[in-house]
Amino acid sequence: MGALTWIVVLPLIGFLVNGLAGNTLGKRFVSVVGCGLPILSFLIAAGSVAALLAGGSTPRIETVFTWAVIGGRAFEIAFYLDRLSAVMVLIVTGVGSLIHVYSTGYMHDDESYARFFAYLNLFLFFMLLLVLGRSALVLFVGWEGVGLASYLLIGFWFEDPEKAAAGKKAFITNRIGDAGFLLGMFLMYYAVGTLDMDRINAAFAAGVPAGVSASLIGVLLFIGASGKSAQIPLHVWLPDAMAGPTPVSALIHAATMVTAGVYLVARLSGIFAHAEFASQVVATVGVLTAFFAATVALVQTDIKRVLAYSTISQLGFMFLAAGVGAYGVAVFHVVTHAFFKACLFLGAGSVIHAMSGEQDIRKMGALAKKIPITFATFAVSTAAIAGLPPLSGFFSKDEILWFAYGSSFGGSPWLLILASATALLTAFYMFRLLWLTFFGPPRMDEEVAHHIHESPWSMTGVLIVLALLAALGGFFSIPHFLEPMLPLPQIRPEAQSFHGPLLWIAIGLGVGGLLLAAYFYGNNAARATRLKPSFEPVHKLLSGKYYIDELYEAVLGRPLTWISEKIFLRIGDKFLIDGSLDGLAALAQRGAGRLSKLQTGNLHLYAFLVLAGIVGALIWSWRNG
Amino acid sequence: MDKVQLLLSLSIALFAIGLLGVIVRRNLLVMLMCMELMLNGVNLSLVTFAHQMGQAVGAVLVFLIFVVATAEIAVAIPIVLLLVKRKHSLDIGAYNDLKG
Amino acid sequence: MINSLLAGLDTLLLVVFAAGALIGALLMIVLRQPMRVATALISTMVFLGGIYGLLGVHFIAAFQVLIYVGAVMVFMVYVIMMLDPRDPAIQSRFSKLLVPGVVGFVCLIFVLVGATWKGAPAAPAVTREAFGLQQFAVAFLREYWLQFELTSVLLVAAIVAAVAVVKLNRRG
Repeated sequence: MGALTWIVVLPLIGFLVNGLAGNTLGKRFVSVVGCGLPILSFLIAAGSVAALLAGGSTPRIETVFTWAVIGGRAFEIAFYLDRLSAVMVLIVTGVGSLIHVYSTGYMHDDESYARFFAYLNLFLFFMLLLVLGRSALVLFVGWEGVGLASYLLIGFWFEDPEKAAAGKKAFITNRIGDAGFLLGMFLMYYAVGTLDMDRINAAFAAGVPAGVSASLIGVLLFIGASGKSAQIPLHVWLPDAMAGPTPVSALIHAATMVTAGVYLVARLSGIFAHAEFASQVVATVGVLTAFFAATVALVQTDIKRVLAYSTISQLGFMFLAAGVGAYGVAVFHVVTHAFFKACLFLGAGSVIHAMSGEQDIRKMGALAKKIPITFATFAVSTAAIAGLPPLSGFFSKDEILWFAYGSSFGGSPWLLILASATALLTAFYMFRLLWLTFFGPPRMDEEVAHHIHESPWSMTGVLIVLALLAALGGFFSIPHFLEPMLPLPQIRPEAQSFHGPLLWIAIGLGVGGLLLAAYFYGNNAARATRLKPSFEPVHKLLSGKYYIDELYEAVLGRPLTWISEKIFLRIGDKFLIDGSLDGLAALAQRGAGRLSKLQTGNLHLYAFLVLAGIVGALIWSWRNG
Repeated sequence: MDKVQLLLSLSIALFAIGLLGVIVRRNLLVMLMCMELMLNGVNLSLVTFAHQMGQAVGAVLVFLIFVVATAEIAVAIPIVLLLVKRKHSLDIGAYNDLKG
Repeated sequence: MINSLLAGLDTLLLVVFAAGALIGALLMIVLRQPMRVATALISTMVFLGGIYGLLGVHFIAAFQVLIYVGAVMVFMVYVIMMLDPRDPAIQSRFSKLLVPGVVGFVCLIFVLVGATWKGAPAAPAVTREAFGLQQFAVAFLREYWLQFELTSVLLVAAIVAAVAVVKLNRRG
C-alpha cells in the first residue's frame, strides 16, 4: 500500500479498533489508539508532502483498486497528491490530531469515551478520502461520510431529543445540497467522460466541452458546497450543530468539514474559471452570507453560537475569494481560519469546562485572571480573526478584500464595501465576546465561581500550539505556494493604485472594531445595555436569526407534513395498500365461504358429482380422441 | 350383436344401475348393496375380456376383487353399526354432520 | 347338428341369464324393503355366476357363489335383520336427487356404450379350455404371488378392525 493509502486507512483502523473493542480495553488504550493513529497519519502526510516538493511538485497518483468497469469506462479508487491536497491533508491531519489530543482531556469524564474517539477517527477517515480523492466519486464518498460522521457526533448525546434533532437537521440539510452536487457530477461526466478531477480540469482548460454549460455545472456544485459549508439558504444547520461536544464543533464545524465546499470549488477551479455566471453567484452568495451571519452574531448570548455564526461569516469570505477567481487566497483563509477558529472553539470549550457547563456569556465575566492560559490564547485568536497585524487572519483577510475589489474576474466596489462592513462587524462582535466572557465583574453563581479552574495540560497545550499557529501562520504565503496550479487573477487596471490604501483600511477596520467593542462593552457593558431599548425591533430580528427557521417551517415543513399525513398516509398507505391487501383477504374469505356451500354433507350429492365427473371426463376424452 | 358386446353392455348397465342406486336410495344398507352391484359389474367386464383374450390375468384380477370386496364389507358393516348406534337411524339424511 | 343346437342353447342361456341379472339389478333400486333388495341382489349374483360358467371359467363361477353370495350377502342379510327397524320414519325411498340422478344415469349409459360399441378389440381364436384352474393357480404362484400375500395382509387388517369394533360395541 502506498503512503497516501496509509494516510487514509490509519484513522479507519482507529475507528474499527475503538469502535469494536474500545469499551473493553479502557480509556488509556482508546486515547493512545485514537490519538496516535491520526498523529501517525500526519507524519506520513508530512513525509509525502516533502517528497512531493522535492520531486518538482508533479502530482502523485496512487490507484488503490478498480471499483467498477461499466461499458468500457473504468471507475477507480485512486488518491491524488498535489499542492492543493498537500495543504489540505496537512491541515486535516495536523489540526485533527491536535483536537484529538484535546478531546482526551475534555471528554475524560464521559462514559461513551470510546464511541467518541471511534466517531472522530471515522470522520478523519472520510475527510481524508475527500481531500485526497482523485475522482469526484471518491470525493463524494468522503463528502457523504463526513456528513454521516457529523450527524453521529452532533447527536452524540442522543438521549437528549433536542441534540438528536440537531443531528438530523444537519444531515437533512446537507442532503439537499448533495442533490445539486450529484447533478453537477452527472453533467461533468457527461461533458468529459470521466470523473477524475485532474482530467476534468485539463479538459476544461482546453475549452468548454460542447453541449455543456460550465456555469450550470458551477451552480450545481455550489449548491452542494453551500449545503456542506453553510451558506445561505442552507446555513440553518450550523448553529444548531453546536449541540455536539465542543471538540466536534472545533474539528468539524470550524476547521475541516465546513471547508470542504471551498476545497471543492478550488479543486475544480478549471470549471469555475470558465463559468462567469456561476462565479458571480458564488461571490455574491458568499459576501451576503458573510454580512448576514455577522449581523446575527452581534446579539448572540451563547458563546458557541457566536462562534458558529462567525464561522458561517468567515466561510462566506472564503467563497467571496473563490468567486472572484482567487482560489489560492480562499485556501489561504481556510488554513488561517482553521488555526484561529479551532483555537477559539477549543478555548470556548475550556471556558465551558471551567464554568461547569455554563455557556451563556451574560453569566460570565472576570475570567481573565482565573484561567490565564485560556484567556491568552483566546485573545490572540480573537485578534487574528479581527484581522489585526501581524497575525495570520490579517494576511488572509487583507488578500480577500483586495481581490474582492480588484480582481478582473468579477471584483467590484460593492463587494468590497459589503466585505469591509463585515470585517468591521467581525472585529466588533469578537471583541464583544472577549470582553463579556473574560472582563468586567463576575456575573456567575457562587457555586460556579468556586469551581473555576484552568484546564489540564492536554487541553491548554493544544490551545497554545494553535494560538502560535494563528499568530505566525500568516507568514507562510499559501497563495504563492499554490500559484503554480491555481494562478491568481489579474488586477483591474483602475484598481491597481488602491492596494496601499486598502491595507491601511483593513488595519483600521480591525482596530476600529476593537475600540468600538471596548467602548460599548467595557465597564460591564454599561453603554450597550443603555442603548438596547432604542434598538429593540432590530435586536429582536437579529436574535431571531431573521426568523429563517420559522420561515422554512411554515413554507416547507408544515405543507410537507400535511401532504405526508393526508395524502400519503391516509390515501396511499391506508386506503390503497392496506385496502388492497385487506380486500384480497376479504375476497379469499368470501370466496371460500361461497365455495364451502358445496359441502352439504349430503352423500348423494357427492356421488352425483362423481357421476357427473365421470360423464364429463368420458365425453371429453371421446371428443379429443 | 355378439357375445362380447352383449356382456360388455350388461356390465355397463350393472355398473350404472349401481351408481344410480347410490345416488337415489336413502337407506344406508341399500346404498352399500348398490356398491356391491357396481363391483359385480366390473367383475363381469373383466371376465369377458379374460375370456376374449385367453389370458389368466383377468381371472386373477377378478379373484383379487373378490377378496377386496369381502374385506370392504367386513369393515363397512361395523362402521355402519357404530353410526347407527350413534344416530339411531339408517336414513342418510341424518348423516350430514360434515356440512360446512 | 348337436353342436349347432348346443351353440344355440348356449346363446339362449346367456341371454336368459343376462336378462335375469338386469332385472334383479333394476329391482334392487326400486324395492322398498332392504330384505327384498338383498334378495334381488343375490339373484343377480347367481345369474352372473351362471354367465361365468357359460364363459368357461367354472372356478370363478364357484368363487362368485361361494364368496359373494355365501359370505358377503349372508353378512348383509344378518345386518339387515339386526338393524332394520321397520321404522315408519324412513318413508321415502328416494333422495332429492332422483331426477338429476336418472338423467346422469342415461348420459352415462350413452357415453359408455358409445365408447365401447365399435372399439371392442378383435377376438383371437381361443380354445374352450384356454385357461382352467391349473393355469389360474400357476399364475398366482408365478407372477402374482406378491398380490396374493398382500391380500392376506388386507384380510388380517379387516379382521382386526372387526374385532376392534366388537370390543368397542361391547364396552359401550
